[in-house]
Amino acid sequence: MNAVAVPALRSAEEVQQTLKARNAEVEDLVRRSYSATLYKQFPSGIALAAVGGFGRTELFPHSDVDLLLLVESEKQIDPVRETLSAFLQTLWDSGLRPSHSVQTVAYCAAEHDDNVEFSISLLDRRFLAGDAAVYESLDDRFRAFLTKQASWLAPRLVALTESRRAKYQNTIYHLEPNLKDSPGGLRDLQAVRWLSFLRHTGDAAGLGPRFAFLAAMRIRLHELAGRDQNVVTFSMQDALSQDPAALMREYYQHARSVDRAIQRAIEAAEAKDPTLLGRFYEWRSRLSTPEFTVSHDRVFLRAPMQPSQSLSLFEFAARHKLRLAPDTVDRLAGFTPQTRWDDWKRLLSASHPSFGLQAMQDAGTLAAALPEWRKIECLVVRDFYHRYTVDEHTLVAISSLESIADPRFAELYAELEQPALLRFALLMHDIGKGSGGSHVEESVRIARTVLDRLGAPESDRSIVEFLIARHLDLSSVMTSRDLSDGATAKMLASRVEAVERLKLLTMLTYADISAVNPEAMTPWRLEQLWRVYLLAHEELTRELHSGRIHDAAGVSAERAAFLEGLPVRYLRTHLPAEIDGHLDLARQLNTRPVAIEIVHQRGVYQLTLLTRDRPGLFASVAGAISSFGLSILKAEAFSNAQGVVVDTFTFSDPHRTLELNPPEVDRLRGIVRRVVEGKQDASQLLRGRPKPLLPSRAARVKPRVALNNEASETATLIELVAEDRPGLLYDLGRAINSAGCDIEVVLIDTEAHKALDVFYVTADGRKLDATRGSRLKAHLLAACAGS
Amino acid sequence: MKKIEAIIQPHKLEEVKDAIKAIGIDGMTVSEVRGHGRQKGHKEVYRGMEYQVDLLPKIKIEMVLPEARVEEVIGVLVAAARTGKIGDGKIFVFDVAEAIRIRNNDRGEAAL
Repeated sequence: MNAVAVPALRSAEEVQQTLKARNAEVEDLVRRSYSATLYKQFPSGIALAAVGGFGRTELFPHSDVDLLLLVESEKQIDPVRETLSAFLQTLWDSGLRPSHSVQTVAYCAAEHDDNVEFSISLLDRRFLAGDAAVYESLDDRFRAFLTKQASWLAPRLVALTESRRAKYQNTIYHLEPNLKDSPGGLRDLQAVRWLSFLRHTGDAAGLGPRFAFLAAMRIRLHELAGRDQNVVTFSMQDALSQDPAALMREYYQHARSVDRAIQRAIEAAEAKDPTLLGRFYEWRSRLSTPEFTVSHDRVFLRAPMQPSQSLSLFEFAARHKLRLAPDTVDRLAGFTPQTRWDDWKRLLSASHPSFGLQAMQDAGTLAAALPEWRKIECLVVRDFYHRYTVDEHTLVAISSLESIADPRFAELYAELEQPALLRFALLMHDIGKGSGGSHVEESVRIARTVLDRLGAPESDRSIVEFLIARHLDLSSVMTSRDLSDGATAKMLASRVEAVERLKLLTMLTYADISAVNPEAMTPWRLEQLWRVYLLAHEELTRELHSGRIHDAAGVSAERAAFLEGLPVRYLRTHLPAEIDGHLDLARQLNTRPVAIEIVHQRGVYQLTLLTRDRPGLFASVAGAISSFGLSILKAEAFSNAQGVVVDTFTFSDPHRTLELNPPEVDRLRGIVRRVVEGKQDASQLLRGRPKPLLPSRAARVKPRVALNNEASETATLIELVAEDRPGLLYDLGRAINSAGCDIEVVLIDTEAHKALDVFYVTADGRKLDATRGSRLKAHLLAACAGS
Repeated sequence: MKKIEAIIQPHKLEEVKDAIKAIGIDGMTVSEVRGHGRQKGHKEVYRGMEYQVDLLPKIKIEMVLPEARVEEVIGVLVAAARTGKIGDGKIFVFDVAEAIRIRNNDRGEAAL
């Protein structure tokens, strides 16, 4: 580091002095050149005006000097050209960068949809030299134009502003921001002033200190670079301050104020929009509740927020994809919600959590609710790839999951059981940055404290902590491991342990890479990440069968006996508490043939069944459940060495049969028991169930069945994708039995109306041969078709 | 002067970079590319559906070298990038007509 003291940025007063001095110097030069050239030839009929930044007397050391040469009629344009170039030449030779136009007064006072910038530049106009009468006629006519065409300019200014901001991804949090054009920069500040002028509001008041800071930075930047440089690069940040991180934090604070001001000004300008979009906004106002009013897609508070209302406002925004009204942001100042884990989970389970989190960030509530967030607010961590501050990177990562273009990842994301855990892990994944040392360990440490404080249950904590601790693993495998080496797959499988965790980690990696910068998720990385996912997925599902638990260590003899022979996967997909529950059920088998438990949690029911295995068992239970009009979402079937099967069915209650008739739960338990004991025939139960409505032809899923004899050492793997329907699982199970095959392991999953089923089957204790395989495939396809 | 273009496995990049650096070659351009050669991708089965993965992620390294160092660099590249399996990649060598350093107009090998 060089030890040369960096001079402090100019104060507000010094900024004014510098700009004034520069302006005076340039004005003098321009006037003298004009007298020496244009004035000599055309003493009347033309005039020179300063417009744009020069018009505002806001000339930065190296910014362009905007000039307008006014003529009375078009006929004058050609004759003045030659003298004009002599005039411009003298300016160039004096080191100025003139940017000029020659126009008639009539042109200036008219609408030009292809040259809106020109009309905007005229808002800051000032007479410099020449025929004052010509300038005054422009001044009068332009004023009249603005009054008469009041509604022309403002919407176009808004459109220009929005498209410029979009080029910067609408965020102020660029690591190397552009002082002029980035959101929250000088151009936005100026747009606030213009809109305030055009619409006669006082919106621009209070921006003085913001201007002074941004202008002081820009002046110093121009001085250091010796040219019109407005991007505050890392090297410029070092040159601007001895503590670049502190300087940039100050910058983001000012930029944030400007950003809010321009958003308000844009909103106010759009509020009077009588278009179709406007009516749509009004339609959305039906979303209003006793607590919140919705108007123009913005949420207003009906009463001040109380800490006990927790995150309800943000959950509301996240559910309906709404932003906060500026007034709401003001009223949230100092609001500190009381939050518990369930509040966060509800917020993060909404369909657009990024709207809720962004609203919290805008109002400062994110840091109020999670004080740890302050550590990464506006934090610049320099590297070659990241484009945003750490807090912005985090929010971009979460929102990137709400618009996944690649169908494979979109499907994977839609399948996640608890996306809220992924989103919370993302919120915390970089929280340890900037503390020195490994940010991964630090993030885990901080997340642990937060989860403790919020009272998160162990099952959720372990997943969140796992995701944060492993959040760089897949990226590193993508670039530094040989994907064709079996050891890589084994290593991955042993680290993630379960398919659901792999899915979560894959999606976390997807989001983390996507949020580095808008171009970071290249097709190359997307492909590589997918390969890594497939590799680990294959390994984990292969292990499902090849790995059987044998001589489980460190557990009681009773537990070991129960676990003996169950697939390794069983241990990896069930938490210790669930296994305890299964063990309790297994004990019941000493006195009765079947043990059944039905629980209702997280909006779905789960039926767990332990009994001695027998052919057709799985299909019969599936049939019994379907006969109640219940819809099976997931199912698993495993058996241990003693021939005890552990079947779990997760199902929803679309007709609210169980919910509205609690005794039906007992009746379901009784029917399942009778079916298992062979006292009741499942096919009779299913008879008479009404045929379901099929989705439209276009949305139907064509059934696919694939048999694989390589995936497991002892069984044939069947993967099946089909249109889900009531009773499908029963029909598939029967098809397998009627082909003379035994089901060893079952994993059933559904996504919307699509069933994703995996069966491991054997015939006479061996894999299927080709004949039996193709016969089974035909039976299954027929079952999918409902025949 | 010759230009060497090497297509290698992504996970071999660090090893290759270190090996090339160790023999005193500093300049190289690295890009992430996708493609296939005789390896022609392979079939993946996911959810019961087979699909062809025909464009595999690879790394492309480009270097322009004085004639005299070409064989040595090729040797180092092969040794570092090789796993012995299909998909290890290829090296191509081209003639280079001229090299110009934009900053000061140096030409020929002086510009490398």
